[in-house]
Amino acid sequence: MIRFVNVKKLYSHDVVALNNVNLHIKPGEFVSIVGQSGTGKTTLVKTLISEEKIDGGRIVVGGWDITRIKRSEVPVLRRQIGVIFQDFKLLPKKTLLENVAFALQVCGSGRKKINTIAPHVMRIVNLEDKLARYPFEVSGGEQQRVAIARALVHRPKILLADEPTGNLDSINANEIIDLLLRINKFGTTVILVTHNREIVNRLRRRVITIENGQIVSDQAVGKYLL
Amino acid sequence: MLFISLLRAVKFSLQDIIRNIWLSLVIIIILILALFSINLLYTVKVIGQATVSAVKEKIDVSLFLKNDATEEEILALSQRLKSLPDVKNVDYISKDKALAAFTDKHQDNQEIIDALKQLKRNPLSPTLIIKPNSFESIDDLSKRLDALDSPLIESRNFANYKLMLQKIDSITAKVAEAGLLISLIFAVITILVVYNSVRVATYTHRREIAIMRLVGASNWFIKLPFVFSGLIYALVSLGAIVAVYFLFLTVLQPYLEAFFVGYNINLLEHYRENFFTIFATQFVAAALVNIIASLSALRVYSKI
Ligand SMILES: Nc1ncnc2c1ncn2[C@@H]1O[C@H](COP(=O)(O)OP(=O)(O)OP(=O)(O)O)[C@@H](O)[C@H]1O
Ligand SMILES: [Mg+2]
Repeated sequence: MIRFVNVKKLYSHDVVALNNVNLHIKPGEFVSIVGQSGTGKTTLVKTLISEEKIDGGRIVVGGWDITRIKRSEVPVLRRQIGVIFQDFKLLPKKTLLENVAFALQVCGSGRKKINTIAPHVMRIVNLEDKLARYPFEVSGGEQQRVAIARALVHRPKILLADEPTGNLDSINANEIIDLLLRINKFGTTVILVTHNREIVNRLRRRVITIENGQIVSDQAVGKYLL
Repeated sequence: MLFISLLRAVKFSLQDIIRNIWLSLVIIIILILALFSINLLYTVKVIGQATVSAVKEKIDVSLFLKNDATEEEILALSQRLKSLPDVKNVDYISKDKALAAFTDKHQDNQEIIDALKQLKRNPLSPTLIIKPNSFESIDDLSKRLDALDSPLIESRNFANYKLMLQKIDSITAKVAEAGLLISLIFAVITILVVYNSVRVATYTHRREIAIMRLVGASNWFIKLPFVFSGLIYALVSLGAIVAVYFLFLTVLQPYLEAFFVGYNINLLEHYRENFFTIFATQFVAAALVNIIASLSALRVYSKI
């Protein structure tokens, strides 16, 4: 599903964010990526969605070599990868449902399709009773669930979550992780970047540890090492 | 899908214009000022051209004849002149006609009329007015007339028209140059202001644009609302400039007529006749400036 081959990313000649990263993630896997602050985890996420270009090596997503992807092809890639972040990136002046619908609108979906898919993904994240609320009217956990719903509208094969629980208390955080596990069960490959030791240890899934832009450990059933 | 996206882009653009109404107004006002200065420059150019061609049209050379020349002699000379190359036609102003025109011109000046009466005879000489084929042949014609030997000729008045027209030409050229400079300055200011407003607009939209990029909106769809906004700004400012400038010309016209008595300079008519060419050009220019500014701002500030 995802393959990194000797990937190198420099922000400037002395800032090496990723150094010789080799990685293979199979379809349907649930992988946690851990590591200290500033070690290149977010950079890895950004190279996967072609937000940052790499300076060496190759990245292949679903058989598609995106190393030298054209500008016009980036949107096609993004529709195959759902992404969520620590700051939920919702539009404050739109309702929760509108926020989800927006992702379909800007991709040219028809009204009928939007009216089916948007409520459907909101049901998946258990928010069907709060469709007309605004982001400031719901909790952080609920906002993150809206972001997840939005990430699902294109039925992505991969879901990238960059510290999705960073702003949440442990109850809300656990809810989000359970949701990610549920989505993974439906067949979506999930990549979770996190700092949360408890979560990683509870998951008992594959854990990749990054240090200074390099993979220092890759365990099939891992524990938080640091 | 394409049609839906187009409609949505229009909707986004209109929403954006209304939500940032003050920013939109600033852009429109700057555009109007720029278009006004460009029209002003164009007007000066039209007036200059009309004046020069009117003056050229009026150019002729006068031969003042001896007072005692007979009618037959004069007509014979007139025939001779007509056969010269470069001559378009020859007008004969007899003594009587000249006197009538003179009294007519000075009818309000009692002193001159009294002086004429006291003279008891017509002091004016008969005149032949020769029109050249074209303005360019006036030099050759003057030379030929200088060489012409006839006892009838009292004096020749070959004013230096060429020099005069060269002066008018150079003045209009200078005015056009200054106008061009002013328009260029305005164009640069417009581009900067539009560029910066769009920068602000993209900045206020950076969240939305970032989300659009994240969820896989195509680049052209993200750009399209800005293109539409550019078209709308251009259209609105064009509508305003048409109204404002026609009003301006209507107010200006009586002064122009008073200033250029005897010349046929009608700017309103000129603008009406060339309405499409003049304003279509301005629309395209205004829209292009807007769109290019917004797209390059997007490229710099949102990496698309
Ligand atoms: N746009 C950028 N320009 C220059 N340097 C950058 C940029 N983004 C990140 N970096 C640097 O690259 C390195 C890796 O950053 P990255 O954001 O990938 O870390 P991270 O592992 O996600 O950290 P955190 O856990 O704090 O989110 C850091 O040293 C960071 O300062
Ligand atoms: Mg990070």
